[in-house]
Amino acid sequence: MRQDLVPLIVKQIHELNGQHGVKVPADLSSDTPLFGREGILESLGLVSLVVSVEQAIEDEFGVSISLADDRALAQTKSPYRTVASLAEYAGHLIQQVEGQHG
Amino acid sequence: MYIDFMLNAFAVSRMKAALVWQDQVFSYGWMLEAVQRWKQHLMKEAICSGSVVSLEADFSPNAIALMLALVDHGCIIVPLTSSVETKKPEFREIAQVELVIEVSGSDRAHINNTHVIATHKLLLRLKEERSPGLILFSSGSTGNSKAAVHNFLPLLEKFKVARHSLRTLSFLLFDHIGGVNTLFYSLSNGGCIVTVRDRSPEVVCRAIETHKVQLLPTSPTFINLLLLSEAYQRYDLTSLELVTYGTEVMPESTLRRFHGLFPHIRLLQTYGLSELGILRSKSKSSDSLWVKVGGEGVETRVVDGMLEIKSQSAMLGYLNAPSPLTADGWFMTGDAVEVDGGYMRILGRKSELINVGGEKVYPAEVESVLQWMEGVEEVAVNAESNPITGQIVMAKLKLSTGENGQQFKKRMWMFCHDKLPIFKIPQKVMLVTEAMHGERFKKIRK
Repeated sequence: MRQDLVPLIVKQIHELNGQHGVKVPADLSSDTPLFGREGILESLGLVSLVVSVEQAIEDEFGVSISLADDRALAQTKSPYRTVASLAEYAGHLIQQVEGQHG
Repeated sequence: MYIDFMLNAFAVSRMKAALVWQDQVFSYGWMLEAVQRWKQHLMKEAICSGSVVSLEADFSPNAIALMLALVDHGCIIVPLTSSVETKKPEFREIAQVELVIEVSGSDRAHINNTHVIATHKLLLRLKEERSPGLILFSSGSTGNSKAAVHNFLPLLEKFKVARHSLRTLSFLLFDHIGGVNTLFYSLSNGGCIVTVRDRSPEVVCRAIETHKVQLLPTSPTFINLLLLSEAYQRYDLTSLELVTYGTEVMPESTLRRFHGLFPHIRLLQTYGLSELGILRSKSKSSDSLWVKVGGEGVETRVVDGMLEIKSQSAMLGYLNAPSPLTADGWFMTGDAVEVDGGYMRILGRKSELINVGGEKVYPAEVESVLQWMEGVEEVAVNAESNPITGQIVMAKLKLSTGENGQQFKKRMWMFCHDKLPIFKIPQKVMLVTEAMHGERFKKIRK
């Protein structure tokens, strides 16, 4: 079953508040734009969030994934558009890894 | 023949202490006789001048006497220490070692013929010129170890000028350019070398106290460990007059902390490379990272922010890599520097430069700030590739606080945000429990 990773990502965004140029809006939700048009993150904030989310996923699920590699950048729709799109992409990668391990 | 200037000086100072080994004193008289004895032994064994000889040892009476006898005999010496134990077979092969001399922990020497015949053109050149040689392996912290071949004669030149000598702890290893330099400098000037069985802060401090050591040539990593261990509180270090540091970039925080604790100890930055030998240097002051580098027979220039050096004592070339010297003899050090008047400040290796979305970050400046934080024992900063910004800054840390990564990251941000531009604050943090330095007390970044 695919995990709902939105709460995990929202938590990491809150952790980053005030750091790496990140300003968290009051109405942070799954639809909040992350990077790109109206995004709340600049490149350094995005990099930091991605690293934090990878770490949190490893801590919570014991699965090591890379949310920033060529594959992520090659997606026709960027996984970094919104909280929801990042959650979906991460969930997809976790499923793939878990699938490989049977 | 080649070291007559040293042997003559030994004869004059017969009664003076040349070496302290395992808390025993060896005089210049003893050293003179030991060198003569080894020279005769080399003759008796019909060892040709020009032979490539690995001298596998640490600082000990016979290892030192053998080193001198081999130089005088015109041999090409490859010093190797136990810090490269696993690499010894590979290094012997690269250096085309013809004769292995192992000096055991109890100071007994064993000579073995390898039945190899050296054919490398740089080695043949030394043999033809009948010049003694020295082969030094670079640490290989950024790739494969390179074997730098020196003609020993230009290296000896600078020791012919009489200078003041202090009681010196042999901290840098026997197979390191700094260790070789310490040895020849001290013996040429009637100084005394104090050896240690290991290089932990406790053992080093005890040796300083017991043998009234005046000069400690060391590395920034060791100074940091010394501060952490607080070993200096348990021993009397008042004999110490001078601490020299080199081999890696000194974090400003470490320098300032040490100077604050020991304002009477002079701090001098040294600059040397396996490829060039140790250059003469002068720090602007004990708490300054600005340094003048040069001396006789040495020219320096900065091209595109990178230091280049032309030295009469430069190596002939590498045995296992193309020569890095330009046609007119300039060596590109790979060190990025800032220049102010006659002084320069070393920023770091260009190869270690981190590029975060086009912004440059030198690991040392980030490490220096992180080292000020409470509970940070050791830190190494390096690049991690990241497709979003090209690279990101990753800090590997050993903490004494028991924090997890997330807790530390928050505290790190609070601490760093007004000390470093945002892009220099590590985007990634990795906590480790093991020590982060090698036997040479040099930071392991990877």
